[in-house]
Amino acid sequence: MNQPASGFKATQESVNGVVVVAPEGRLDFGSAAEFQRQLEATIGGSDKPRGVVIDCTGLSYVSSAGLRSFLVGARAAKSAGTTLVACSLTTSVREVFAISGFSRLIEEYPNRQAALAKIG
Amino acid sequence: MLSLTEELALLAIEDDGAIAYTAGQTGFGMALVAACLVDLNFRGRLDADLDAVHVLGTELTGDAMLDLVLSELTGQPELSVEQWVLKLATQVPQLVQLALKSLLDRGILAQRDTRFLWVMKERRYPVIDGKEQKEAKLRILAALLGEDIPTPHDTVLVGLAGAGGLLEGFLSAAEIQRLEGRLGEVGGIDLIVRGAEAAIREDQAARARAVMLPMF
Repeated sequence: MNQPASGFKATQESVNGVVVVAPEGRLDFGSAAEFQRQLEATIGGSDKPRGVVIDCTGLSYVSSAGLRSFLVGARAAKSAGTTLVACSLTTSVREVFAISGFSRLIEEYPNRQAALAKIG
Repeated sequence: MLSLTEELALLAIEDDGAIAYTAGQTGFGMALVAACLVDLNFRGRLDADLDAVHVLGTELTGDAMLDLVLSELTGQPELSVEQWVLKLATQVPQLVQLALKSLLDRGILAQRDTRFLWVMKERRYPVIDGKEQKEAKLRILAALLGEDIPTPHDTVLVGLAGAGGLLEGFLSAAEIQRLEGRLGEVGGIDLIVRGAEAAIREDQAARARAVMLPMF
């Protein structure tokens, strides 16, 4: 299958029991499944986080398949009772969230500090 | 498990096996096209964003509906979801026939020829045991009445059933109005569904213009 190289990675770190996931690059069909697995493992893992912040500073592109991985993450967080928020959305990603209606399901913050403060 | 396209077509079959009135409307046809695009997205043959549908692979899926749509997209200049839905609307009669055949082959529908007013032939597709149709309706109701975030498959099914006028088949107008907020919240959280909704709006506006124009 002729899939474009995504040049995508997602790092994560724990800040006082809150996991900050930082996706970078293009989230498309080629990278969505791996990102989805990472989110599900983080939310449903044995060390259940107090909350999850997805810091989108480095996220340049989200396709339909990529958006689906966010949706699965939000669904997993809701059923686990974990707060999941997003921050630092680029203009193009914010547009995808707004037009798709995903922004109705997830709280967005201008930066990581504001997102972490919300979770407390 | 049924594909999204098959489930959407199944929702257009009424209790007596007649094809719902709404299935003859362009909204349903465009929702069916969008379901094919989403199924192709699930299977990795295409991806979409706000600007265009991108073909990722041309290997046949083995599903006649999806392969028909994939063949239409292959080798063509990239267009937006909205443009593809409008363009592929000409394929809807064939897609509906293929969807019915697929459901017949799976043993979900039967085929019965009757006569309307003793003269006109009418083909009906009674549901055999109704399990799959009931399950699709229950998942839509669970998404609309519950508080959970639906699965990607179900959010698309809810969105396209709404856009295609299929909710009217099992919900009253008052219930649909009551659930409008929730429908907007969890239905069609997907770029392909939003593109299809834009295509349906554009088509309806064009039809309204065509009706109004001769009056002035």
